[in-house]
Amino acid sequence: MAGPITPTAVRERLDRVTDPELDRSIVALGYIESVDVDLPEVRVEFCLPTAWCSPAFAWMMATDARREVETLSGVERAVVVLTDHMHEEEITRGVNEGMSFEATFPDADGDVESVRRDLDEKALLSRQYHAVSALLDAGLTPEQVVGLTPERLNLDHVDDAAAGSAVRADGAPETPEATTVFVREGTVGITVPLESTHSYLAKARPLGVVTDGSDPLFRTPDGETLTAENFERVYHRTRLTATNMDGQGGICAYLHEARQGRRHLAEVE
Amino acid sequence: MYRYKGEDVFVVDGHVHHWDASEENIKHEGGEQFIQCFYDYHTGFTPEDRQWTIDEYRTYDTDRMVSDLFGSGYVDVAVTQPTHLDEFYEEGFNRVDTNAELAEQYPDRFVANGRFDPREGEEGLEELERQKAEYDITGVKVYTAEWRGDSKGWRLDSEEAFEYLQKCVDLGIENIHAHKGPTIRPLNKDAFDVADIDDAATSFPDLNFVVEHIGLPRLDDFCWIAAQEPNVYGGLAVAAPFAQVRPKKFGEILGELLFWLGEDRILFGSDYAIWEPEWLIEAVMTAELTPEQRAEYGVEFDLETKKKVMGENAAELYDIDIPKRADTLQDDAISEEFGLTGGDIGPEEGAAD
Repeated sequence: MAGPITPTAVRERLDRVTDPELDRSIVALGYIESVDVDLPEVRVEFCLPTAWCSPAFAWMMATDARREVETLSGVERAVVVLTDHMHEEEITRGVNEGMSFEATFPDADGDVESVRRDLDEKALLSRQYHAVSALLDAGLTPEQVVGLTPERLNLDHVDDAAAGSAVRADGAPETPEATTVFVREGTVGITVPLESTHSYLAKARPLGVVTDGSDPLFRTPDGETLTAENFERVYHRTRLTATNMDGQGGICAYLHEARQGRRHLAEVE
Repeated sequence: MYRYKGEDVFVVDGHVHHWDASEENIKHEGGEQFIQCFYDYHTGFTPEDRQWTIDEYRTYDTDRMVSDLFGSGYVDVAVTQPTHLDEFYEEGFNRVDTNAELAEQYPDRFVANGRFDPREGEEGLEELERQKAEYDITGVKVYTAEWRGDSKGWRLDSEEAFEYLQKCVDLGIENIHAHKGPTIRPLNKDAFDVADIDDAATSFPDLNFVVEHIGLPRLDDFCWIAAQEPNVYGGLAVAAPFAQVRPKKFGEILGELLFWLGEDRILFGSDYAIWEPEWLIEAVMTAELTPEQRAEYGVEFDLETKKKVMGENAAELYDIDIPKRADTLQDDAISEEFGLTGGDIGPEEGAAD
């Protein structure tokens, strides 16, 4: 990214950081309180919906934010500050001093990476639900969906993280928004939208669920092969995960709003 | 009693509290953060003209509670769910004995539940016996994320917890309400985890496990477990306010619950005083699934289902004979005080259309 580092550019970069429980951007969720650019340093303050949002989740967001901002050229150091949290001091200190979660919270059991992995798996299931729904809506049958691979959707060499936003110099999108799947031994072409499949792959590839263009695109929550027989049950389970993430997102949104209202009231008084 | 299109709906509020978070009672900053967090839940979901001030919210007397539940709130019978939090509050937050006083004063109106914490060892088992002997409890609330000394929580599938669950079987305490929702800490250990319910429910088939707050933010894990364990129930507290603020989302959550658990294992709860039952019950009773949701989930949220969720399912767990109890309540002291005689206190007939 060329050009001067502005607070807007920092926010755009932070948009890649998600609340791991909700699988939504911390910028879209309104967690970012302030961004101060004083090159080569950038300072980001963020606040979560409650003072006791999981410290592990807060830790993941803070470390991800620091890492993303430090990828911007011209930024040597990102300072990420968590405010109004029960463990704001430990987390702010630990993240900015490059400590490990275990060193920051010696009495914590389990490790933060396994928590992250569990939440990533859930985010993946939720994204699978949205991707499969879009494919079914476009007219594919369950039998056809279980046979899909990245290659069949012309998605074997695509940068998923850039999908949806990046635009090439000539104005054409970097990544295809739709493709045609040929079914019934190639005699029928069905055009399917790809936005939600890109989003799915952006999670599936780093998790190692899809590593090759010929890998099956989807699988069961237990990591087994998706078949025409288990398709419906798996579809219902992924729907449930999506409903849960969405429902919890609603709760967090209302708590966040209530808390912000109270904070602003306190400032006025 | 709620009246819906001319039909009486008997309401059991499966989750109410009588708490004290007054500043004098707080001994640890966690106590203040705890009540502030509750207050965020309150203001986040309560219609603006129905919100309490933080001072009202810290603690309230029994008169207000009785009036909010039974006077204006349509509730017929309320189940108190204690949460001690002794590390945070001098005299505890919401005690078994304070709650039981209500049930002693209004035996037909309140079901007083007890509580246990397996980290209390032998003493805790004796305390459970005392609760049974003194108040004849038939249910307990358990709070697996509660702090105690250096411990920041416990699991229902631990050896110690099993000893307590066996004690419940022996004493005839059948309903185990597990709080699976907002908590304070346990760092990266996931206190919302509902997985411990699975083993406990399998090992104690004679007990009923009511997962309060339907496991949110673990609705998916909860439904998956409940689909396989017939003695696992879902308490609607925290999900219900969605009926007011996000009816479509409420329909989705309900659709999932009805799809995975069926209509016999969902229990209404207001979580009073987090929310007041009056507006909450109006919102749930008038909630409808959209045609798309009915098609997607293949379920109905019609009057018959609403009656189960609002009272019949809980009445089953707490051995309440609804017609008989309704008859008793019709002219009890509370009905008299609030002019409820006749049970006709819901909106006008057909007003819900």
